[in-house]
Amino acid sequence: MLKSMIYKEWLKIRWFLIGAAILGLFIIAYMFMNVQRSITFQGANAVWYNILFLNKMIFGIMKYVPLLIGIGIGVAQYFPETVNKRIKLTFHLPLFENRALMMMLSVGMICLLLTYLLHFMVFWMLSNYYFAHEITVASLITITPWFLSGLAAYFLVGLIVLEPVWKYRILYAFAAAMFVPLYLKSGMIGAYGPINIPLALLTVLISVSLLFSAYRFRKGEM
Amino acid sequence: MNNVIECNNLTHYYGQKLVYENLNIHVKEGSILGLLGKNGAGKTTTINILNGFLQPRSGECLIYGENTQKLPPETKGRIGFLIEGHIQYAFMDIHQIEKFYSGFYPNWNNEPYWELMSKLKVTPSQKISTMSCGQRSQVALGLILAQDPDLLILDDFSMGLDPGYRRLFIDYLRAYAKSENKTIFTTSHIISDMERLIDDVLIMDYNRVLAQCPVHEFMQNFKQFNFTLLNGGVDLSKEKFVSNLEKVNNEVELYTYESEEFVKKFLDDNGVEMKDFKKIDMNLEDAFIGLTGKY
Repeated sequence: MLKSMIYKEWLKIRWFLIGAAILGLFIIAYMFMNVQRSITFQGANAVWYNILFLNKMIFGIMKYVPLLIGIGIGVAQYFPETVNKRIKLTFHLPLFENRALMMMLSVGMICLLLTYLLHFMVFWMLSNYYFAHEITVASLITITPWFLSGLAAYFLVGLIVLEPVWKYRILYAFAAAMFVPLYLKSGMIGAYGPINIPLALLTVLISVSLLFSAYRFRKGEM
Repeated sequence: MNNVIECNNLTHYYGQKLVYENLNIHVKEGSILGLLGKNGAGKTTTINILNGFLQPRSGECLIYGENTQKLPPETKGRIGFLIEGHIQYAFMDIHQIEKFYSGFYPNWNNEPYWELMSKLKVTPSQKISTMSCGQRSQVALGLILAQDPDLLILDDFSMGLDPGYRRLFIDYLRAYAKSENKTIFTTSHIISDMERLIDDVLIMDYNRVLAQCPVHEFMQNFKQFNFTLLNGGVDLSKEKFVSNLEKVNNEVELYTYESEEFVKKFLDDNGVEMKDFKKIDMNLEDAFIGLTGKY
């Protein structure tokens, strides 16, 4: 059953996921090409000076990429379930409904995390190549909430898309639009260090929010 | 014979609007029950309650003795469900969808599925979303046959199908159900299709059940008499024995469970002058319209 569920979810998200993974890699490569160019033309000292003393964010272009990937995967995965109320088919499978939903959620979340892990690792390796360990660590601390924002958005898209009543969908979307920017407040490099773990815990807390929308659907809210 | 479906005192409202009150439905094992009703009479509401997609205001539905609001996976595995419009995972092709569902059902038998698919003029990689309604109906039916469920719940299976596909669907379904002792609970807008398929009929009108019995019993007992009134002012519609009455000028269509002798005697005893009295042969669609009215 798990294999079948993985198969269905994969069929829905595969093209978006592969495209997003490649696009993310291109953006990271582009960022570090810029670093290479700056080092070549301005010298490494100038680049370091910009980062350490002018607090210049050289990888700002990447800020919204995980968020867009999270929203995209959420829509690709959950929207087809709502067309013609196809979620009924999923609820009719010989599984407890919440188990079926948790399987769907887990597949989407793992695919998303693997994509993020790929981007994170490539970023880490390239950063390690160009910068001192301290700068790399500070950079990773800086980009971590960006990835968490994508994860949170993915969970909230599940809540919004599966909600059966438009009025509530809009309300949830509004709440999500207020909530997600918490992860993306601009700040100094490494500024999110003290709050990354609470943010991660908060993200875990909202992870199962789609169960609420699915419950409302099963009770016949319309 | 055991009841596969039992709905007891089912009451449901949408907001303040009553759908039905104290509805009781019993479907015996091995029988095919057709739920007939006009648009908005509560057919899809009943299907949704049966599948656990809607919580009734009061009352309960049991399938194989289990409350439909909390069906365990084993019981759900015994139920094949066809959603109105033959909805399926349209982003899959016929191979992908067969592969997907086969992982859920231990008795999965793909033979009838591929037999039906061989009759469709679709390419192996064609997405279900690009198929015609008739082709989609065959995919949905094939999947149900491959699942080999004990109970089939079919919500308006004839929707969007041309006559050929409807006939194919019905003939396949009835032969399958009767040879394998399957139970079917179905709704359809096209009543003439139901006549070929069902054993028992449940006719619903707004807020109430008008008839629930074997279809042959209903067709035998429910009658239409036409006559022309000579004194036009007579109103027979309030009489207890009259199930429905359609009157255009002095031409009367009277629907009743009473016999021809009873009706004639009543008219005679009450001084109703008429001519051209005749009993009209009806099919199920005529009887349905006769019972529920044209409006």
